[in-house]
Amino acid sequence: MIISVVKTPRNSDGAQRSSYRQSYRSYVGAVSRLGLTSALTARRLNTSRRAPRAHNITDKVSPEHLAVLVKKEWQLSYVTPLFQFRHTQLKRYSQQLSAFIAAERQGVAVEVEEPQHSFKASFSVVHGMAEAEEDAETILIQVHSKHHFSRRDDPEKCVWSGWLACINGSPEYIRSLPKDFICLPLFGSSGGDPLTSSVKSWFQQTFDCCFGSLEINHTSLQWLGSLWTNCQPESNIQHLKMIWAVPVVPPLQITYTVNPQDAWELWTCVRKDAQVEKEGEEEEEEEEEGIIDIEEVNMFMQELKSHFYRHFKLDLSAGNLVQVSTALGSAKTSGRIKISNSRYMISTLTLLTECALLKMPV
Amino acid sequence: MGDTPRRLLQRLIRRIPAQELKPTLEKWGRLSQAQLQTIDFTQSKWALTGKLGTICEERNWAVKHITELELIYNAHTVELLQFKEQFKSNLSELIRNVSVKIKKHTDEAVWIRIAWGDGLSQPNHFKPTYVVHYLQTPYVFVTSLNSKQKPLLSQALVLATSYHAIKDANLSGRKFTAIRDLLMRQYEQVFPRKFHSPLKERNQIVTDPHIEREQAESSANRLQMACEAFGGGKLPQLQSAVYKLETKFRGHNKSMTQREEPIRCVVKFASTNILESLRNCASSGIASTPVTPLLSSIPLKGRNYFVITDNGPGPSQTRQQN
Repeated sequence: MIISVVKTPRNSDGAQRSSYRQSYRSYVGAVSRLGLTSALTARRLNTSRRAPRAHNITDKVSPEHLAVLVKKEWQLSYVTPLFQFRHTQLKRYSQQLSAFIAAERQGVAVEVEEPQHSFKASFSVVHGMAEAEEDAETILIQVHSKHHFSRRDDPEKCVWSGWLACINGSPEYIRSLPKDFICLPLFGSSGGDPLTSSVKSWFQQTFDCCFGSLEINHTSLQWLGSLWTNCQPESNIQHLKMIWAVPVVPPLQITYTVNPQDAWELWTCVRKDAQVEKEGEEEEEEEEEGIIDIEEVNMFMQELKSHFYRHFKLDLSAGNLVQVSTALGSAKTSGRIKISNSRYMISTLTLLTECALLKMPV
Repeated sequence: MGDTPRRLLQRLIRRIPAQELKPTLEKWGRLSQAQLQTIDFTQSKWALTGKLGTICEERNWAVKHITELELIYNAHTVELLQFKEQFKSNLSELIRNVSVKIKKHTDEAVWIRIAWGDGLSQPNHFKPTYVVHYLQTPYVFVTSLNSKQKPLLSQALVLATSYHAIKDANLSGRKFTAIRDLLMRQYEQVFPRKFHSPLKERNQIVTDPHIEREQAESSANRLQMACEAFGGGKLPQLQSAVYKLETKFRGHNKSMTQREEPIRCVVKFASTNILESLRNCASSGIASTPVTPLLSSIPLKGRNYFVITDNGPGPSQTRQQN
């Protein structure tokens, strides 16, 4: 019943005018052709986004894949578009990467066909994750290891996993890419650093791409905090926890944990006020209900900060928001993310895909 | 010096543990500071007895004076012995298979190590509870105690110290000396003063002396207030402070401030030394001065766990609960 056709979107307009290094930022800037300022303003995240809807993702994505993606903390990176990556060649990639890892480990070349190495990489497609027409299907990479002394029938242990995804990536940007480039800008890895760097260098060599660290800045953290809080009526978030690092000597860390129901009530009050204001400005009633505005996010955080200030006379704005977490997931400024509930995974990954596209070098 | 006082002195010196000799002699008060300094406490007890005997002879001290010394020593040991006995017997009455070791340190602190077992199992020596009690103070410091053991220990302590009850001080930390100093107020406190000290001259190039002075004045002012709230110099090393807030919403949003129910949140401050971090917040202007009582209560009350609720119907007052 399920037609398992792997989607590797082809860019129909064969206009090969720019290199793969053309980034989302330069793309937006080039379109407006209004010079530096507009390019700079275009570097911001979207100022409004759809409220997360509970996706029945369990119907679309296999439970084995979801089990791998959920409840693990991933270190994020951005990746520039991959040259000549084919979703149909995953078996070959698996062999090549296995051999590459073995070679890097031992410092000698190993034959590709030799199946005896202790590290075995496997590529697979996570069907059902892609949202938009232009999104390439998510790729999951797992590295299993078998100890030399272990028995033949011992189960292999997964020692490293990683994925490449594009969820609701900017269609204009993806369409603007030259032929043969696949955009999977978000890379998450979990496992030992040596393996992560092996996988990265294999990708760099094979698909002529580059990786860079993806920090989650305070705006994105605020977005995540608000988007998650918005889910409270449907799915108990248990707490809204925010951690600020205050630059004093010795460094001070302030953890501010708000009751989920109270956080949600404040969020709805803030949204109601913002909606009233908006209606006063323009008469367009046809606004989609599920759209959340950056102003609402900022106001929500501001209200939480002033409640804090009224008690402790300490201005949280002097510090940096370094972590946000709820029962749905957690995100750290260092680029570590954990998704604990698959129902709202798509909206989180949409935001992170956007961050990754913005982080790419010009 | 007769035979009786000499033998009395000999016996007493033999009984007093070596490390207790100096403090006990100091308490006795008969020897001058100079005399005490001439005594080498690393000598053998036999030599010490000889030296003390000579001093007694010179001063013509008799049995009366020696018995005075004995009383001073005994009063102290009796208190410790009594505590030891009482505590051990009380605890073993409450629970079987418990192993208790008690040792007194030189600074009046009694250290107790308890390895817990129960009716069936032997005492577990890998997860002991340490208890430190300063004799003649109402404070007890306890490490790793679970809720089952807490009432047992409390009862044994209350009976042994002959206090009425034991109460949680809401203070915890990883450094024993720090929480001891906070609780017993043994750190440098700064008292409010009306006039600030004259500013020191600096070797900086002054661009505008007026602006410079004004800024320096306000920063000196902040520093003074920060020190008044948290203390000056090196501060006790406390790792965290936790506030459970159940107060009305104090932000700007109208519908939320009108809400009757309080907003529930927990705020935790953490650092390698929170008192120093908070003092730095206040002196650098990140925290407004004067420092709010919520924060200055940590050193003032010697606590680091607080429950804050609104005091009655008035929206602007908060109350710390015990």
